[in-house]
Amino acid sequence: MTAVQDPPVAVPVAAPDVRDDVGVGVPRGRWFAALLRGRGLVGTVFVGVVVLAGLLAPVLAPYSPLQQIPGANLLPPDAAHWLGTDEVNRDVLSRVLYGTRVDLLVLVTAVPLGAVTGSLVGLLSSLSTASDVVAQRVFDILLAFPVLILGIALAAVAGPGLTTVILVIALAEIPIYGRLLRGAALRVREMPYVEAATVVGAGRWWVLRRHVLPNAIEPVGVQVTVSLAVAVFVEGAMSFIGIGIRPPDPSLGSIIADSVTALDANPGLALGPLAVVTALVLGFLLMAQALAAGRRT
Amino acid sequence: MLRYVASRLPSALVVLVVASILIFGLLRLVPGDPATTLAGPDASPEALAAIRSALGLDRPVWEQYLHWLGSLFTGDLGRSYLIGGSIADLVLGGLLNTVVLATAAVLLAVVIALVVGVGAVLTRSRWVDALVTGANTVALALPTFVSGVLLVLVFAVALPILPSGGVPPLGFAARPDITAQYLVLPAICLGLPVAGSITRFLVESLRTELAQPYVLTARALGVPRRRIVLFQALPAALPSMLTALGIQVGSVLGGAVLVEAIFTWPGLGSLVEQGISRRDYPVVQVLLLLSVAVFVLVQLLTDVAHAALDPRIRIGGSV
Repeated sequence: MTAVQDPPVAVPVAAPDVRDDVGVGVPRGRWFAALLRGRGLVGTVFVGVVVLAGLLAPVLAPYSPLQQIPGANLLPPDAAHWLGTDEVNRDVLSRVLYGTRVDLLVLVTAVPLGAVTGSLVGLLSSLSTASDVVAQRVFDILLAFPVLILGIALAAVAGPGLTTVILVIALAEIPIYGRLLRGAALRVREMPYVEAATVVGAGRWWVLRRHVLPNAIEPVGVQVTVSLAVAVFVEGAMSFIGIGIRPPDPSLGSIIADSVTALDANPGLALGPLAVVTALVLGFLLMAQALAAGRRT
Repeated sequence: MLRYVASRLPSALVVLVVASILIFGLLRLVPGDPATTLAGPDASPEALAAIRSALGLDRPVWEQYLHWLGSLFTGDLGRSYLIGGSIADLVLGGLLNTVVLATAAVLLAVVIALVVGVGAVLTRSRWVDALVTGANTVALALPTFVSGVLLVLVFAVALPILPSGGVPPLGFAARPDITAQYLVLPAICLGLPVAGSITRFLVESLRTELAQPYVLTARALGVPRRRIVLFQALPAALPSMLTALGIQVGSVLGGAVLVEAIFTWPGLGSLVEQGISRRDYPVVQVLLLLSVAVFVLVQLLTDVAHAALDPRIRIGGSV
């Protein structure tokens, strides 16, 4: 009997400093440093050179991308036209430089749009079972459309163009980030420290903000670099089959499509844009690999 | 096993039905009226009304949807109004070509994955490993339209030893040697990213298996490493490669659009492309649904095959 009336013994637990369990031991600076050594560095250099070339296109390009140069029909690469000229007498180097700009525009709009929307939907839907089930079905349906098929469907409705390309990439990314964040939310919820936090009165929002988000930052970071590579691919593929950036506007995909029609007359024409696309995609994938490897160690 | 299959069916059906509604609804939103397109700009209102009622466009949308859905089951898909001919014939014609191409690509990818993956694990040489990783990254990084154009450039333009595109003129069965010449470039182009992806999965799951205690036991009992890799780790590693393959095969029609465009291969992919560029939406509609159906079906088959190979999944529900 006496034991019941004893004053509760103060449990000797140090008041947990919230900051201790947030980062889960991620030295963030060191993680990003993976981009500056080994294959990460190779990727960063590839991407950096292409991005710089695109940004500096107005300075670097010897001609306007739409300018038709009299007498310069399907010239092979030489000193005056480093990448040759195309069927309608345009300088291919200038078109590649300006086309890179269009691709960069697609990258910086479409990928964040898809990543943020998908992450928000994934996070918020994980808060209740009903919304979780609905979101999962929506993701299933979106994933059932291979990205080019999705592009074809949207291009049929909205017409080809830059906006359609951006929309297609964002839509294709939404389920990926949605699943990623939902997975992170479900996993973290099982963790003893989150149970503990819930027991001492932490709300769902608090758990999302303090535990789920910090845990998801790294996989999202890796996924973003993968998405950037995919975005270059989707722009190229859509423009290549004529449902992306429309001629005469340059984009990496549309320049490759142009060069293919002249492949017999001037095989060298395709090499420049092919090299740029490969450098971008390969660069982003190498960065993704480096970041993913940096997580494991 | 049956119960497992049955548990997967409802969500697959939901995806299919919603996707079919989306596809049907989306293409209703396309600007322009098929009746006007068909009859031309100067048609009389009576002529337009006649065409509308012939196409069923004057009935409520849900009725049109159900009618369309029904027509998919009877195989009477209607006529293509711009490309010409019946849609069923167009689809069947393209289907054979695409199936031949996709089969060749998948077989190629599986052979490459098995040879390279098992080889990389067996040799344990750092150089081989680095080479495999590098080649793998490049295979994944080369977009289909880049590798396709490069293949044409090298093997059809620079060294003209292979046809740059088209299907064998005498059909696939008549002269296997000629068929192989036409098939090799597009099959490599379509199969390369698949090979890259499944090789990575195979190598990773082989390494996971080799770290298991039973491998140590077998080694301690004196079983040669080669034997363990081939007869114990490989069978255990195959299910995860199969899943990766399933995901890739499900979206093969997306890749086929590009590969068929590069190699002028008259399959379903080029039919989609034609349908889009000529705004022949009934054709596009059927092909979009077909693509989603293939994806869902392949996913289902993959899950079932995975469960058949790995008892933990069908018993435990989730692993």
